[in-house]
Amino acid sequence: MIKQLSQRLLGPVTLVLLALTFWLGLWVTPPDRVQGNLVRLLYVHPAIAWVALYVSFGTSVIASCLYLWKRTRSVVMDRVAYCAMEVSAVFLALTLITGSIWGRPTWGVWWAWDARLTSTAILLVFALGYLALRRANDDPEVRARRSAVFAIIAAINVPIDHFSVDWWHTLHQGATVFTENGNFLVHGSMLWTLFVSLFAFTLLFFWLLRARYRLEVQRDARYAASLDEALAQRRREGVH
Amino acid sequence: MIRTALLVAGKDLRIERRSRVLLWQVLPFGVMALVLSGLALGPHHAGNSSAGPGLFYLVMLLVTLLMINRSQVIEGSSGTRTSIATLGLDPAGVFLGKALALAIELWLTGIVVLAGAVLLLHTGLLGSAEALPSVLVILAALAAAGTLYGALSGGGQGPATLLPVLSFPAFAPLLIAGERSYSDALHGGALWPWWVISLVALVAYLAIGILLYGVLEDS
Amino acid sequence: MPDTEDPLDLTPVAAPPTKRRGRWRTVGVLSVLVLAVLALLSQGLLHSLNYFETIDQAMSSRAKLGTETFRLEGVVKPHTIDRTSRGASFWMTGGNQEVFVNATGSPPQLFQANIPVVVEGHFTSATSDRFVATQILVKHTATYIAQHPNRVKAPNGTVR
Repeated sequence: MIKQLSQRLLGPVTLVLLALTFWLGLWVTPPDRVQGNLVRLLYVHPAIAWVALYVSFGTSVIASCLYLWKRTRSVVMDRVAYCAMEVSAVFLALTLITGSIWGRPTWGVWWAWDARLTSTAILLVFALGYLALRRANDDPEVRARRSAVFAIIAAINVPIDHFSVDWWHTLHQGATVFTENGNFLVHGSMLWTLFVSLFAFTLLFFWLLRARYRLEVQRDARYAASLDEALAQRRREGVH
Repeated sequence: MIRTALLVAGKDLRIERRSRVLLWQVLPFGVMALVLSGLALGPHHAGNSSAGPGLFYLVMLLVTLLMINRSQVIEGSSGTRTSIATLGLDPAGVFLGKALALAIELWLTGIVVLAGAVLLLHTGLLGSAEALPSVLVILAALAAAGTLYGALSGGGQGPATLLPVLSFPAFAPLLIAGERSYSDALHGGALWPWWVISLVALVAYLAIGILLYGVLEDS
Repeated sequence: MPDTEDPLDLTPVAAPPTKRRGRWRTVGVLSVLVLAVLALLSQGLLHSLNYFETIDQAMSSRAKLGTETFRLEGVVKPHTIDRTSRGASFWMTGGNQEVFVNATGSPPQLFQANIPVVVEGHFTSATSDRFVATQILVKHTATYIAQHPNRVKAPNGTVR
């Protein structure tokens, strides 16, 4: 019952938190002393990037590993991996778009070939490659196995992306929340609005994942039903 | 594993020697691509040696795609893949063998295209000679990565566009490392960091291939 | 034709022992991989992929840089900005050194004193500390502090 309740409440709670994020971000929090009102993208871009790189990509990779491990291999894991990667592709694209929108007035350019931006773009191409691989094969087991291997190889890029601002000199800023000494570099209402946005977008991911998963289940069921129907029709033709 | 690798590499290279696809199709394609790059840049920029390294690796990337497809199609004839599976060959050995054969083919092509870059794009001869070790390692890493992605893309049976889509993000870092090492060689920079980076990339792809190629071939 | 007086021996034969090489190979390969990556990172070999050079780094490799185009990073020194119709000129500090930058093109919106910037261009000569830039990029920090009109200012003019 708790599970059903939480599933029913996931959507409304997500919408409320997103609305709260936008209200706090646009009206309540003050402008930054350097960036002024441009700082309001702080409540959108980092949260989208957090979901894209860690939450959704991570979910897909973990599900892929679980699929490849014989004890936990199941069609559920394959579906979760696929759906999470699809959501990740969308969020990665949004990361780059919102980053560009923020970069143009702050840095002065829409795009720079520094390590952080380049590795994020490569990760997006990996995600798109995964989706292309899914469509290239009809055999479910073959498709699932190859996709899982590809997701694991692509995951190597995630720590490179995360540590890129520490390993190299980059135009992109360093860590604001996950700093070396644990201090937060955001102050006051800006800090807890940032945390609200991180939580809101994380719930948004789970909401989208659940919806996409249900769609995938229905799609598979429809495919199986259409196959049964086609076989039945062939049999009927054979009888006549 | 090593014995299987040498057997498979020998098989692939013997097939290549008899079919002469490398000699009559891939090498001319590589040289032609270099010429077209020069034409596209125009006389002012084509003769500028700073364009040479990037164009060399771009051409080699395209050549690699052709060769990966060829390497996978060899297995595609009826019963070949089944025969190899039935023989019980170690998949890791098969991967290493195919990667080795592909690497040798890329090295031969790379030397010809490198000579072309020196002649046609006026890339420095001494710098190109100094860049040769890192070129060979990067091409070997491309071969290892390409063999893995060739199997991922369906072993030559999948759509033609799938291989580039899957492999380009993996090839991109190798392209960057290759171009930087070649440029540094031309301008007298320190080369050993790039050798180490290239070797690490090669080791990484070989390790991933050894671990995961069997899973792909089972499907 | 089988001999009916000697029936076929159909007793199951024990399977030959299989080599349990899979697990050890996996451990070995993963170990080599991890060691290689750690070796790479510990030697700081990836610094060549930096987007820019700091002033200290640029000054220490002046002879090699010459008048080659590259990106230089530093902090805009206060009270040195001179905006012209063509662009802006200012002094940039980094470590204990300073570079004079003459930039063409309009600077970004956030360009101001005490902000880190990345300029793309080249030194005017192999020994000069004057830099000619074709582009100014602002490298904003990871710190976010609310703008407040009554905020206390430090003696050097920065806001706490």
